[in-house]
Amino acid sequence: MLGVKVREAGWGYAFVALPIAVFGLFFVYPLGYAIYISFFHWGILGKDREDPNAGWSNYSRVLHDPIFHTALKNIAEYTVGVVPLEMALGLLLALIVNQKLRGRNVFRAAFYFPSIASSAAITTIALYLFSSDGLVNRIVDSHTPWFTTASTATWAIVGLNAWTTSGTVMLYYLAGLQSIPNDVYEAAALDGTSTWRTFWRITFPLLRPAHFFALVVFGVGALKLFDQAFIASAGTGGPNYATTTPVLYIYLKAFHSFDFGLAAAAGVVYFLIVFALTAVQRLAVGRPEVA
Amino acid sequence: MLQTTAVEPLVPPRARVEILRRAFLYAVLVAVAAVFFVPFLWTVSTSFKTIPDSVHVNLIPHPWTTQAWHEVWTRFNFGLYFRNSFFLAAVVTGANIVLAGLGGYAFARLRFPGRELLFLLVLGTLMVPDQLRLIPVFVMLTNWHLINGFSGYILINLVTATNLFFMRQYFLTIPKDFEEAAKLDGAGYFKTFSRVMLPLALPAVSALAILQFQGTWNDFFWPLIIFGQGNQDLYTVQLGLASLQFQYTTLWPQLMAGSVIAVLPIVVVFVLFQRYFISGVVSAGVKG
Repeated sequence: MLGVKVREAGWGYAFVALPIAVFGLFFVYPLGYAIYISFFHWGILGKDREDPNAGWSNYSRVLHDPIFHTALKNIAEYTVGVVPLEMALGLLLALIVNQKLRGRNVFRAAFYFPSIASSAAITTIALYLFSSDGLVNRIVDSHTPWFTTASTATWAIVGLNAWTTSGTVMLYYLAGLQSIPNDVYEAAALDGTSTWRTFWRITFPLLRPAHFFALVVFGVGALKLFDQAFIASAGTGGPNYATTTPVLYIYLKAFHSFDFGLAAAAGVVYFLIVFALTAVQRLAVGRPEVA
Repeated sequence: MLQTTAVEPLVPPRARVEILRRAFLYAVLVAVAAVFFVPFLWTVSTSFKTIPDSVHVNLIPHPWTTQAWHEVWTRFNFGLYFRNSFFLAAVVTGANIVLAGLGGYAFARLRFPGRELLFLLVLGTLMVPDQLRLIPVFVMLTNWHLINGFSGYILINLVTATNLFFMRQYFLTIPKDFEEAAKLDGAGYFKTFSRVMLPLALPAVSALAILQFQGTWNDFFWPLIIFGQGNQDLYTVQLGLASLQFQYTTLWPQLMAGSVIAVLPIVVVFVLFQRYFISGVVSAGVKG
């Protein structure tokens, strides 16, 4: 009997060996390595030969860098703007396609369609539509290049990502809507409750798990904004740092200034900020449950 | 006034309200669908336009030309980038099916000491964000000379925790009878996995394959980190498109042809396997 157990365990280890190696090497180890690098003057060729030890200086430079502050302000504005918009649009789409309608699968697919396109393509298309001579400016009779004007850039990205993500949010709300038992609605109909009241008094509160789920998942997702900001600003985070997000800040410090120590320190600081926000959110709204 | 509206017969018949409601709903539906679709129509139309025509508001190109497509595919190297993207997406997807399948099966069914602890480690990797891994992973790959080829990118993407978790959850739903029957027939652990369990998990494998192919094809961040610092021959379609956009800001027909190339394979997959897409997104999200 012992032989069977040992054999089963042996195969078990063999099956998980490669995945565990990948996770250990490229997730767990880098966590410690990032902290290590953040305490050194570290350039593209590794530690600085003459003066390797940085102490806490990389951290104090990040925390006192006005550009890092701008990046935090930008991402806060973006997240506060985009998450409610994504959720509202997603819920609206879900309510529409949840109706008994002819061709609702076609509409569901159409609404989900922008979600499958790559960030690079979708941003390029948006840059075209919102360029100074683009379709949108022809309609509103203006010549503002929306993505490359400091005052509008963040909001242009908010609009772009709300549009592309709402299809995904819709799918989660649809799952939530379908889990609400029909007799709840039948009871409301018998009482003669209006559609509007039924929605706000019954549907909306019963979607609580889906609200929390979307808030947590898309909130954390928004804090990672990079692709759209990078592409819209041609890799600069401009104009005037208007599209510099924390992740883009880390990228620029590493691959434009070749200051890997500072970039690693910024990575650790931002990780702690996001971690703290997630913890506060968990305490405030509880663990996200099944949508 | 109040009294008359409250009188029963003045309320329109139910059927009429219903028809009006339907008409309104369809109008909203078509309008919203237009907002979602017009940008893509516009993109395709512009890709067949000349440069001067690309800043006009006519939906039908005048004159009609395929010049932008030729230029993007040959002069701007999208043919090569397309092959690169396809190769990476295929290899990464294949590796994920095998490794997430094996790992998911072991964590779901095989008993071995330390299993729960190792599984916790797998779930823990979901907490480590890319912005923290970026610097150390880049430094590691550089030191190992894995930056000047595809191997570094493939190595760090061999298997994801999300996929492994997804496969484990699916294996947990398969009744044990199948494995016991295989064991009675004298099949070993690997044979039981490859001949019985993996085929039974086909719906999960399909969803995983589609979502992972899409994820790798669309990936921008890691190709930028790993291939974006040097040799342009390693570029993926997404990277090539961004770089074209940076260099030729207003070459709209070429940029739109490039954008169509960057989304077309995923559109084809989506049209063919829509069912798996949508069920995969929801179940991966709900459980993960």
